[in-house]
Amino acid sequence: MERLEATFPLLPLSMMVPVFGSLLILLLPERFSKGISLFSAGISFLIALSSLLFFDFSKAQAVQFYQYYPLIPELKVGLALGLDGLSMLMYLLTTLVSFVAILWSVRDRQINHRLREYYLWFLLSEAFLIGVFSSWDLMVFYVFYELTLVPMLFVIGIWGYKLRLYSAYKFFIYIFVSSLFLLLGIVSLAVEHYKLFGKFSFSYFDLLNNHYSLEYGLFLFLLFFIAFAVKTPIVPFHTWLPDAHGEAPTAGSVVLAAILLKMGTYALLRFNIGLFPEVAVFLMPVLVLWGIFSIAVASWYTISQSNVKRFVAYSSVSHMGFVVTGMFLLNMEGLRASIMEMFAHGLTSASLFMIAGFIYNRLHSFNMDSLKGSAKYMPLFAIITVLTAFSSMGLPGGSSFWGKFLTILSAREYTTLLAFLVLVGAFFSAVYILYLMKVLFLDSKEESKLVHFTDVRGFKLSAFLLLVFPMFMVGLAPYLFFNIFDKSAKELLLLVMRKLVGG
Amino acid sequence: MELRDLVGVIEFPHLQLLMPEIIVLLTGFILFSLDLLYKKAHHRLFTVVSAVGYTLALLYITLNPFLSGSTFYHLYVRDTFSSFLQFFMILITLFVLAFAYRYYQQKLSLYREFYYILSFSLVSAMFLASSYHLITLYVALEGVSISFYILTALLRGDFNSKEGAFKYLILGGISIALASYGAAFMYLYAGSLDLKEILTHVGENRYFLVLGLVFFLIGFAIKIGAVPFHFWLPDAYQGAPTPVTAYMASVGKLAFFAPVVRIMPLIEEHFAYAWVITVSIISAMTMLYGNLVALVQKDVKRLLAYSSIAHSGYILAGISVAKVIGLKAVLYFLVAYALMGAGAFLVLALLERHPEWQNRMEEFSGLRFSMPWVATSFMIFMFSLLGVPPTVGFVSKALIFTTLSFDRLWWLAFIMILATGISTGYYVRLVVLTFMKENSKPFQVKSSLAERIVLIVLTLSVVFLGAVPIIIWSFVSPSAEMLFKR
Repeated sequence: MERLEATFPLLPLSMMVPVFGSLLILLLPERFSKGISLFSAGISFLIALSSLLFFDFSKAQAVQFYQYYPLIPELKVGLALGLDGLSMLMYLLTTLVSFVAILWSVRDRQINHRLREYYLWFLLSEAFLIGVFSSWDLMVFYVFYELTLVPMLFVIGIWGYKLRLYSAYKFFIYIFVSSLFLLLGIVSLAVEHYKLFGKFSFSYFDLLNNHYSLEYGLFLFLLFFIAFAVKTPIVPFHTWLPDAHGEAPTAGSVVLAAILLKMGTYALLRFNIGLFPEVAVFLMPVLVLWGIFSIAVASWYTISQSNVKRFVAYSSVSHMGFVVTGMFLLNMEGLRASIMEMFAHGLTSASLFMIAGFIYNRLHSFNMDSLKGSAKYMPLFAIITVLTAFSSMGLPGGSSFWGKFLTILSAREYTTLLAFLVLVGAFFSAVYILYLMKVLFLDSKEESKLVHFTDVRGFKLSAFLLLVFPMFMVGLAPYLFFNIFDKSAKELLLLVMRKLVGG
Repeated sequence: MELRDLVGVIEFPHLQLLMPEIIVLLTGFILFSLDLLYKKAHHRLFTVVSAVGYTLALLYITLNPFLSGSTFYHLYVRDTFSSFLQFFMILITLFVLAFAYRYYQQKLSLYREFYYILSFSLVSAMFLASSYHLITLYVALEGVSISFYILTALLRGDFNSKEGAFKYLILGGISIALASYGAAFMYLYAGSLDLKEILTHVGENRYFLVLGLVFFLIGFAIKIGAVPFHFWLPDAYQGAPTPVTAYMASVGKLAFFAPVVRIMPLIEEHFAYAWVITVSIISAMTMLYGNLVALVQKDVKRLLAYSSIAHSGYILAGISVAKVIGLKAVLYFLVAYALMGAGAFLVLALLERHPEWQNRMEEFSGLRFSMPWVATSFMIFMFSLLGVPPTVGFVSKALIFTTLSFDRLWWLAFIMILATGISTGYYVRLVVLTFMKENSKPFQVKSSLAERIVLIVLTLSVVFLGAVPIIIWSFVSPSAEMLFKR
């Protein structure tokens, strides 16, 4: 793959800004924490936006802003940072959602103690996430991938709800143990490279040259897949997620759903398909059906929830099912669908969790029934909720539409039956969202507790708007986003083709 | 025979090779004499004299890192490998010393023999790292063991301490007996006590040699606490005064693994297949048992003792692949464990000074509010023992994985994943308790400047040496290659 060296250390800088911010938080009195974290996350977001100006869209498949700092030259481990189209999109999402999460926290009543630590963890988490999406060295990728666990462990465990300790514990154990397989997979790749070329290397570009027998490739693919399937999560590896989401504070859930889950899908695309294309083709039928199964089961779970937060959590699992189905269809539309859905879900799930958090702040309950008829008293909130929900449902004009539509389209390239199965999945997701809408707004309530509540405003409104605006941008002007990642998807597909033809 | 011929054979001992050992030994003798001559000499004096002695030895090693050669008719070998291990042995001993003084003062059983026994044990440990000959090995092994028995029993008023020492003594006796039995068989086979000579003359009828090696290795397996020979270790670790536990866990591991590591290249040449099977099975058992039993412990000191057993298992996994890459991984792991193990136990030693502290798990609840910096440092040690990046613990586990994948020992790698998964249970529980629970009554333990420095150094080095592994690697790599070149 082509690499365009950066003249300006953009990525290291945008990682250093939050780290520097967290250092300041540590050194200055607690009352400055909010300001510092807002400021550093904001700067980080601006850097990400400005990077679009310098991004060469005509070469979006190449790794741009590339920089390499050797860490262990003997093993060729180094901080290889860069962005191709796919990473770019994830990078934008990370900085945007981190900023929104911090913006939200400023007025969150749940966050009233140990502020310094809270904002510190959020900023560190942002830095690690940027690292995950921009690393081209598998060992460094793993380090960042694991490091993102620590801030979340603390955020859930300290500022979460009632069962927070249990959830934090479960979250950590699930992801940590599954990623040990990933570690084994990564070092095995490096060892294979050594056996083939006489040198160790953890660089993605070098490892692309490895070749394996199908059996051994399958084994390595599975090592990677276990880790990412848990992280994504795909049913039945999803059980950590409702607990973690259900108990995390709002901003924690936002980051967890919008970005942390994307780490799994991003890595599936980048590593499972990129490094083992022939295995991906070999396993395609299984994985696609698995994805559809995941959509169906998770939708079923979703409908049976009465807790808004768990509802959104399960719906996330079903959305991730679309992402997985799309990517393993292994055609252009499928990849487009998958990447588009990743981005769209990042926005809608963040917004939905904020809606749940907003409800909790008002009513101290996540029970859906307690919100009956809120449209009457909180119109602005109702509008935002409806927009988000429709966007998440896949209504044309909303962000999730392209993901779902293109998945169906790409499945149709194989058989109509497959397309029909995906369609049923999409139907389910419409059902549960409409059900949510009905409960929240249409069911009337005689004496609403909501009469005295003020509508959403200030920091929270701006946090919402920061998400709703891009949601419709995705829906209405998808080509803007296709421009960013299309060439990378094509490059990925080319890898698959090349291996198939070559092998 | 003329006198000249005789003089020709007599080797003039190269004392400069032995200098670090001589310095530490002299320190021990000075401390011993001080104890005999001045009945009222203060402990501070003992601490200072030991510290000066060890620092000198440390300086000598640091200034001559590439000193190598053998002396006393190959009874003693110095090479980069031994210098490397000895450096960390002395360093950790210095750290332990910083904690010992106040610990004993608090426990009101300040015995001055601690200081010189520590010296003698350190000298023996250093000899273990540089012996390549059954006689030196044997004497050094006995030296370390005997001083460990005494150090374990130093809390004379404490039943656990005595019980631990007694159990350790019995099993240690068995271990030494087996090791010497093994040595005898090897001598019977080769007519020599030089390990290199024994193993380079492997012929047809090697029954006695195999028998000898097996006995010899079981002796060492007892020392490193490998399952099923682990029985003494948890009791001894729990009973011993906590700074001593830190010393035994880290320096002990460095010392007892050193000879095993040293013979790895020779084993690879002749017994690779049998070695892989035997050691990998022992390693799997050790990892699983250590972690499973640690999971149900309520006493944190005992928990850490079992975790130490589990770590012996990880190291054995690296040893099972008797290749140069395995050796590098093992060396890195040994140093990593020495740092993080010592750190974890020293935090306990600090907390134990609080009169009501019982080392129970619940007592860690809310430690963050009582002593934030100690809690942070403890958290980092736990994460490192677990293997969260970017700590030394992570790098060492990744290296062991690399080794296993090199030999495609997948089953052992999966067992290691399983074992690490189990260990997540208790390490994360400790972190969760420390940081996420509130505590009912905050408390404070005063720490001396030296103790604070030691904790800071250990914590930072656990993170820094993990984030920049090349530092240890650049010592590990040549040492391992040197051992294989012989």
